Amino acid sequence: MRLIKFPGLSAVGILVFFFLSVCQPSICARQVVREETGAAQTEHEPEQIVPGPRDIKEKTAIYVFVGWVWLSVFVLIFFLKLKIRETDRLYQLKFFNSKRK
Amino acid sequence: MGISTWFEERAGFSGVTKFMTQKKVPLHKHSVWYYTGSAILLFFTIQVITGFLLVFYYKPTLEKANESVAHIMTEVPLGWIIRSVHSWAASFMIALVFIHMLSIWITKSYRRPRELTWMSGVGLLLISLFFGFTGYLLPWDALSFSATKVGTDIPHAVPVVGIWVTKLLRGGEDVTGDTLTRFFGIHVCILPIFLFILLAVHVYLVQKQGMSLPLELEKKNQEVKEIPFWPNFIYREMIVWLLLVAILFTVAIFFPPSLDQPADLMAPAPEGIKPEWYFLFLFQMLKIFPSKILFLSGETVAVLLIILAGVLFFFLPLIDNKPEGNRGKVITAAAFIFIAFAVIMTIWSLL
Repeated sequence: MRLIKFPGLSAVGILVFFFLSVCQPSICARQVVREETGAAQTEHEPEQIVPGPRDIKEKTAIYVFVGWVWLSVFVLIFFLKLKIRETDRLYQLKFFNSKRK
Repeated sequence: MGISTWFEERAGFSGVTKFMTQKKVPLHKHSVWYYTGSAILLFFTIQVITGFLLVFYYKPTLEKANESVAHIMTEVPLGWIIRSVHSWAASFMIALVFIHMLSIWITKSYRRPRELTWMSGVGLLLISLFFGFTGYLLPWDALSFSATKVGTDIPHAVPVVGIWVTKLLRGGEDVTGDTLTRFFGIHVCILPIFLFILLAVHVYLVQKQGMSLPLELEKKNQEVKEIPFWPNFIYREMIVWLLLVAILFTVAIFFPPSLDQPADLMAPAPEGIKPEWYFLFLFQMLKIFPSKILFLSGETVAVLLIILAGVLFFFLPLIDNKPEGNRGKVITAAAFIFIAFAVIMTIWSLL
């Protein structure tokens, strides 16, 4: 039964981290690429907006976030694999069938 | 009284949970395709959530559309990631819809009694493509404007109703602010209604008929290993969902879509107009057709061929009603020919 709690906790961990990151305004990326192509283009008119992290701090925060997501995913997969093994074993033993009878 | 008992007395969810535990999923070498259905649903949910967030800031007018998308990307906290996730999830979803349909085609899972499930699936594919088409215009930049101009001009080639369809899509003779408002309405209101109805029908039919076995396994008449849908199969699906969400976030963060300058109604079309990747094979096919075939224009012939292929695709389970026969083998080969054709055409259009 203890195994059931771990994936739940990890999932809550991911959600908490995600919402903390969402609420953090510093991750708001701003990068406007201005390409002057001719006289017709005014100074304030951006030709193309390429989104991405604004500075090194934001870039680091994003790298940490992506790393954390992948780490959490691998931890969750590890526990899910254990759960699969456990539920398959219980099904083979017809554990739930006998319980219902 | 516990919360679960309180809900059980009022809603009676135990019937659903009982159904889920009793439902069985066969385990065999083609089981991997069973995961695509729920993965599509996962990306659709992501689309709905990110779509809600985007619509808070998006303004579907000629003057404000591009500006509001630029605002989302530069001023709104995490707006660029939300837009990127929305855009990438659409691509992932449509890719999975294609994979899902092709896997059903190749394993012949549409055979009796699942014909209606296939037909509702084709309807969902069309709605997904139309979602992509209408959503592409919404940033209102030079490229999306020109691509929509080309895209909405295609029905024009259809005899009798073509002109009317083009006008209906554009809200007039040309792509204007009216088209933008119309596309926005279709994208956020009309298509979701149709999609939810069709999705409900599709999911109901899938549950009613159960998971289909591939034809080759059914013919062997061997006993196939099965597992309960809940919790055994759901746990397996969760692994796929986690991986897909992590891939989506990684791709969305490192490869966010850019935004071009606002569309100019009077400006000439920019070079290299291309639709979204999932329309590229059709786009290339239209390009390579000769301008005149007998007494019809090449474009008309190409569009009529595409419509005919669509109709045949819709009625595939009825055409392939004896899947173990020679016709069935030809239809399976047609699936592989279609894949090769789509891949070659897409690569060609990218060159």
